[in-house]
Amino acid sequence: MSVVRKVVREIEKRKALTAILLMLFIMVFFDTRFYTAYNLLDMLNSAAILEMLAFGVTLVIICGGCDFSIGAMMSLSGIITIKLMDHMPLGFAICAAIACGALAGFVNGFFVVKQKTEPFIITLGMGMLLKGIAQQITDAHPVPAKNLTFMKIANGKVLFGIPNLIIIMVVMLLVFYYILRYTSFGRNCYAVGGDYNVATQSGIRAERIKWSAFVICGAMAAFCGVLLSSRLNTGSSIYGDSTALSVNCGCVVGGTSFAGGVGGVPQSFIGLLAIQLLENCMNMLGISAYVQQVCEGIIILLILWFDNYAQKRKEEAV
Amino acid sequence: MDAGKRIGNFVKDNLVLVTIMILVLVTAVLEPKFLTIANMGNLMNQFGPLSFVALGMTLAIIGGFIDLSVAGIVSLSAVFTLSMIDVLGQFGALLAGLLAGALLGLINAGVVVSCGALTQAKALFITYGLSAVFSASALLYTDGATQHMSHLENRTDLFQAIGSGRMGFVPVSFLLFVVIMALLHLFLIRTQTGREICLGGANITAAQLAGIPVKRRIALVFTLSGVLSAFGAIVLFSRITTASPLLGANYETNAILAVVVGGTSLSGGRGSVIRTMLGVMLVILLSNCLNLLGVSTYLQSVLKGAVLIIAIWIDRRRVK
Repeated sequence: MSVVRKVVREIEKRKALTAILLMLFIMVFFDTRFYTAYNLLDMLNSAAILEMLAFGVTLVIICGGCDFSIGAMMSLSGIITIKLMDHMPLGFAICAAIACGALAGFVNGFFVVKQKTEPFIITLGMGMLLKGIAQQITDAHPVPAKNLTFMKIANGKVLFGIPNLIIIMVVMLLVFYYILRYTSFGRNCYAVGGDYNVATQSGIRAERIKWSAFVICGAMAAFCGVLLSSRLNTGSSIYGDSTALSVNCGCVVGGTSFAGGVGGVPQSFIGLLAIQLLENCMNMLGISAYVQQVCEGIIILLILWFDNYAQKRKEEAV
Repeated sequence: MDAGKRIGNFVKDNLVLVTIMILVLVTAVLEPKFLTIANMGNLMNQFGPLSFVALGMTLAIIGGFIDLSVAGIVSLSAVFTLSMIDVLGQFGALLAGLLAGALLGLINAGVVVSCGALTQAKALFITYGLSAVFSASALLYTDGATQHMSHLENRTDLFQAIGSGRMGFVPVSFLLFVVIMALLHLFLIRTQTGREICLGGANITAAQLAGIPVKRRIALVFTLSGVLSAFGAIVLFSRITTASPLLGANYETNAILAVVVGGTSLSGGRGSVIRTMLGVMLVILLSNCLNLLGVSTYLQSVLKGAVLIIAIWIDRRRVK
């Protein structure tokens, strides 16, 4: 009895991991080419950019916010890099793009922290604005990159034939894990998200912490945009239309709650991996794209529902 | 109280009205074609789809929520209604479309209430997720294809009248909008249910303690928002005579823009549908102005985003 209850509780805690194991188990029975090194590595490779976006977003969500401008920021920063590349060294162009991302995050943070507005709606408006800028710069046409070095950043294999993107992702995962777990900034993030007023009362500079989280998230989104446009060798204003929803929800799937103060980078990693794996499995089984979208939407909804329901139960228990 | 202060206060309280007047003046001076009867009729015509969706959004926001699923509801109910014309005839299809909107709104409310996401921030994500489901269902329903009204066998003159009919120089859709707006205004101001919705939006705990059936009021708010979105969808596809499953994209942000710009507070409980009409008017005038001045669509999108952020900012400062 108690063993069963323990197992159920563990499953409830690690929904995303359970889902991943379940999917891996199910795929054994379908004789497709799912279990090949090529497919698994390719899946990880294409998930890498979304995963890295999620690391930045996790920081913001832990501080009690959310960021829905990342999709547009991603497409804009890729365009900026490619446009600037012809006029200056590659490194400067990339730095400029990342600085733009940090600036957008700074503005987001200003409205959310200083003016105490609802982060969701502000970042949605910011996304609209950034997308407009991206369309204006490119006239809504895709812009190709002509620099081979730039293309190699995301497409090359420097170490033992492992794609660069996966290596960058793992490094970023470790960096963000370290920041959240072992630095005072990271620990303060949890405090700010857990209870803003208590954090302020205990002498934490809550405003500054939350604001920095938004800046880091914006810069991270820009960095991912650079990688994406390097991977596809093109910048376009249509990238990232649905990215914001799936990344923010992916974090919640993993166990980083929108209530703030809970979760971490590894959880978000697993959450997004679950969503990517689901997509890959459905592709492998040959399910039509529209059915996939409906399934994905329903699954995201279910997880949000459970997240909210658990919170409600917890509040009632108190 | 000196005159300067009084003028300052008037401007602060009626920011939208003042901005509208300034916009009209500036455009009239820069572009003489602006003040012609033809352009006025044209402006009223543009009140069409967005204004209905914005009315529904106003109700949701006054009720303390933000309904992001309107984008999905517009897409799904548009393709559904159009496909029903051949099956049920045009009156039946109109009714079925509105019912579908109500049902989708009810699903919204059901999900939100059942998991206890009774705060604005929590419900926001759920309606966004539902929007994704509804939009994908619209794609699934039509298999991604755009439907055309001219391919239908049954008569469609009712829809043509709703979409592009005119009485004199006033479009039918504008008249419908004014009637629905007046009814909603009376509903919110004069009926007990309307007042209860406002109270629930301002302070849900107080409303619960006062014995108001909060959950039923939330269901009503979302259902009305769904019906109005469906009506907006009907006006939209009747006007352009095609229904694409991607029809509703961006309707949620534009509707929120109109509502917030009009001066309905995002914190809930305060605002009115009349203010939303002013907000819609401002958005339409702005894009009419920018079009007449030859500003590109992309820059307009940038400006809209900026206006949205600034409007929310001003709203916040006023609350403080």
